Amino acid sequence: MHPLYGTTAVAGIGMRQYRRGASPLPEQGVLVEAILAACADAGFDSAEVDGFVSYGDDKNEPVRLMPALGTRDLKWSSVIWGGGGGGVAGAFGLAAAAILSGQASAVIVFRALVEGSSGRLSAAVMAHHLNDHMLAAGIVAPAQVCAIRANRMYEHHGVPQSVAGDLVRASYYHGSRNPEAVAYGTEFDHKEMRRSRWIAEPFRLFDCSRENDGAAAFLMVSADRARDLKKPPVYLLGCANGAEKGWGDLLENDDEQLYPTAGFRPIARRLYAETGLSPADIDVVQLYENFSAQGVASLIDHGFCTYENVAEVVRFENLIAPTGKLPVNTGGGNFAQGFIHGIGTAYEAVKQLRGESANPVADAKICLLAGGPGAPTVSSAIFGNDVP
Amino acid sequence: MDCGGLIMHANDGADAPYWNGLAEGRLLLPRCGCGDWLWPAANRCGVCGGEEVQWIERPMRGTIFSWTRTWHRFGFTESLDLPFVSIVATVDDCGIRLLGRLDDPDQVDPVIGGAISGRVGATRVEGRDIPTIIWSRS
Repeated sequence: MHPLYGTTAVAGIGMRQYRRGASPLPEQGVLVEAILAACADAGFDSAEVDGFVSYGDDKNEPVRLMPALGTRDLKWSSVIWGGGGGGVAGAFGLAAAAILSGQASAVIVFRALVEGSSGRLSAAVMAHHLNDHMLAAGIVAPAQVCAIRANRMYEHHGVPQSVAGDLVRASYYHGSRNPEAVAYGTEFDHKEMRRSRWIAEPFRLFDCSRENDGAAAFLMVSADRARDLKKPPVYLLGCANGAEKGWGDLLENDDEQLYPTAGFRPIARRLYAETGLSPADIDVVQLYENFSAQGVASLIDHGFCTYENVAEVVRFENLIAPTGKLPVNTGGGNFAQGFIHGIGTAYEAVKQLRGESANPVADAKICLLAGGPGAPTVSSAIFGNDVP
Repeated sequence: MDCGGLIMHANDGADAPYWNGLAEGRLLLPRCGCGDWLWPAANRCGVCGGEEVQWIERPMRGTIFSWTRTWHRFGFTESLDLPFVSIVATVDDCGIRLLGRLDDPDQVDPVIGGAISGRVGATRVEGRDIPTIIWSRS
């Protein structure tokens, strides 16, 4: 069995989330609150945390958190490279690597984002990519980068655009029923979405995720240690991160077959091979959707459907808990739960497997966390509330 | 948009001959001695390991690989009238794909695979004119 399989676990979670620009504290303060909440959730002394992992250019260098947390020994601080959300799932694999190699024993995975402290996320992401080729073409924002790929997927590969609307609806359906979601209590009008203003074709406003202020933190320890803590462990069963030849930061010169994908083909192959699991074993999916089409491409990459049968699978009724066969984004996802660079999708993965979700999937045992799609480097992870 | 001074400008990278070529009205693209076209431009060919890169002139003809029409006013696009169409163009006889802009006088949706021809124009960004291939449907 692969060394990652069921050997580490998330023992505690904490999240603080606000509307963009509305955080009552600066970024580091919100992050400290989320970490303390994750430790309290696990019944774990925050001073015992000895490692930290983040992704996506988080600005909070862990050594600066030590005074507020009471950290005694900092033994591991690292990030997944890449400016996009591609690293969100890989961060859990990096934390597990630290624990399994004995370099740290209690690692916090985190992401914090408060606009007043570190500016707009979209600008930070694009700082990784912008060059004169893009500026000359007027391509300056993630929405446009993803829109060009989406048009190719729709027009050349025959994916019907309507499936993107079903995915967005499912996220809003779940978010409207989740008290922790920004969309809680709001009724989503599908017609309003179809009429919302164009951003970059084929994307209208409602095809785009919108940033929130906040932070989330996850305490990871060895599986053995997690069983002695307060909450039921959510085991990491597998994690893969990276890119294959013909994909990456290639000025749109990706391999023609990979171009319209979300970059997950090699990630999914490794993840399933290393866990012995397949899409049929996944009870629920938490899907990072920066933009609607990339969420659909991610589901295709992970083997839940194909270009040919995507409309049979990515249907609103099939995507919602508790009745759908492929419940997706049961917390509301980036669209409707909230968007702190995708960390909320991991939060819902743990809630769902603990039976704490606002939209529970009956008897859910295995959850796929699919990280930021379309980024040059992407990652995914599989979690379970048991080690099958 | 604040990009922290991280933007790479023309003429300081492996693609400098491309920018210098456009400034002279010519499309120059890099090819390794082994025949492999290198884009993004590189000083070493990952296929054969060769480091003899030749810059070959290509006609500004190609096909539309994909496109988007932008309606939202993003920072850095202030010099472009909304909406504007950005495309990925496959250059004929080499297969390199280039980012560029497409004339869109009647807002007719571009068609993937459609034939296009280009001319050199410029895009003004933050007071700087960046040479740009402006494509038209042929």
